[in-house]
Amino acid sequence: MIDAVTVLTIVLMAAVTYLTRIGGYLLLRDRRLGPRASAVMEAAPGCVLISVIAPAFVSDRPADLIALAVTVLAATRLPMLPTVLIGVATAGLLRHLLP
Amino acid sequence: MSPPDGSLPFATPETASAPPTSAEVRRGVTAATPVLLGMLPAALVLGAQAAQKGLSSVEVLLMTSLNFAGGSEFAAIQLWTSPPHILLIVAITFLVNSRHLLMGATLAPFLRHLPKRKALPALFVMCDESWAFGLADAKARHAAGWSPAFSLPYYLGSALSVLLVWATFTTLGAVVGPFLGDIEAYGFGMAFPAIFLVLMRGMWRGFRAARPWLVSLGVAAGVHLLVPGAWYVPAGALAGLAAAWLLAEERG
Repeated sequence: MIDAVTVLTIVLMAAVTYLTRIGGYLLLRDRRLGPRASAVMEAAPGCVLISVIAPAFVSDRPADLIALAVTVLAATRLPMLPTVLIGVATAGLLRHLLP
Repeated sequence: MSPPDGSLPFATPETASAPPTSAEVRRGVTAATPVLLGMLPAALVLGAQAAQKGLSSVEVLLMTSLNFAGGSEFAAIQLWTSPPHILLIVAITFLVNSRHLLMGATLAPFLRHLPKRKALPALFVMCDESWAFGLADAKARHAAGWSPAFSLPYYLGSALSVLLVWATFTTLGAVVGPFLGDIEAYGFGMAFPAIFLVLMRGMWRGFRAARPWLVSLGVAAGVHLLVPGAWYVPAGALAGLAAAWLLAEERG
């Protein structure tokens, strides 16, 4: 039900996340960040998210690659729910139609 | 996420005394409601995916209520193994959430009237949405002449409703997920890329600002093809950060 290593990981995640929440308030409130530090911080979440899903972009299943292209297109113009539905439906359908 | 716009349903200070706390809380919950509905599918998918990776519903509840930062939780679950790579997951969590540092810094001027014993707990529930609501509201109230401009009950109304819905529906996803069987076969593997791409669309600041993302994608994809394991994540992320650092020089 509850695994010690899992809970430790979750508690450490929560701790570093809380540090980011109070760190800006405590340390940066009277400081101006340089353009480089700001640029790195602004780019960081997108860099991590795209890295995590990068394997999907080099999948060896044509069905998944086509579905991903459709999903990218949907994500540029639709809200979360329709994008997820379109992505999942396209992937499910193409997996049955294509080898 | 861009700050919410729209009219502000409070009277100007010239015409009325400060609104009661309960009305301010309700105003925050109302502002957050459309966001709450949009969160539901992502929350259910995260919970179901976490259950498939072997997390119990109690562990999912712990993660989403204590960490309470969706992007990092999606990344962590995607990378989850049994047992988990603690250092990798904690480092990725920090990187995904490093934007909080900037968010806290921009909010700080509006929190000066609050003692730290109130400000520090309030910051525990600062997420993309509650930050955007609280900051936009404080700016509007400042322009309207209110002092203090920052309404703590409004901010907490929006922040706590997001926390409640997020924690509840991720846990629900973990409870019902196992009954769905192997969701991958129905194409559910595409749910995560879809969610991540919509999250990134919300961070989009034009093509120039997004060039580090392309570097991350290229490096992560390459490393994934060449090196076994999860090394592609730190490799791609660090390559993107290095690109952001180098490309920023052009501006300054």
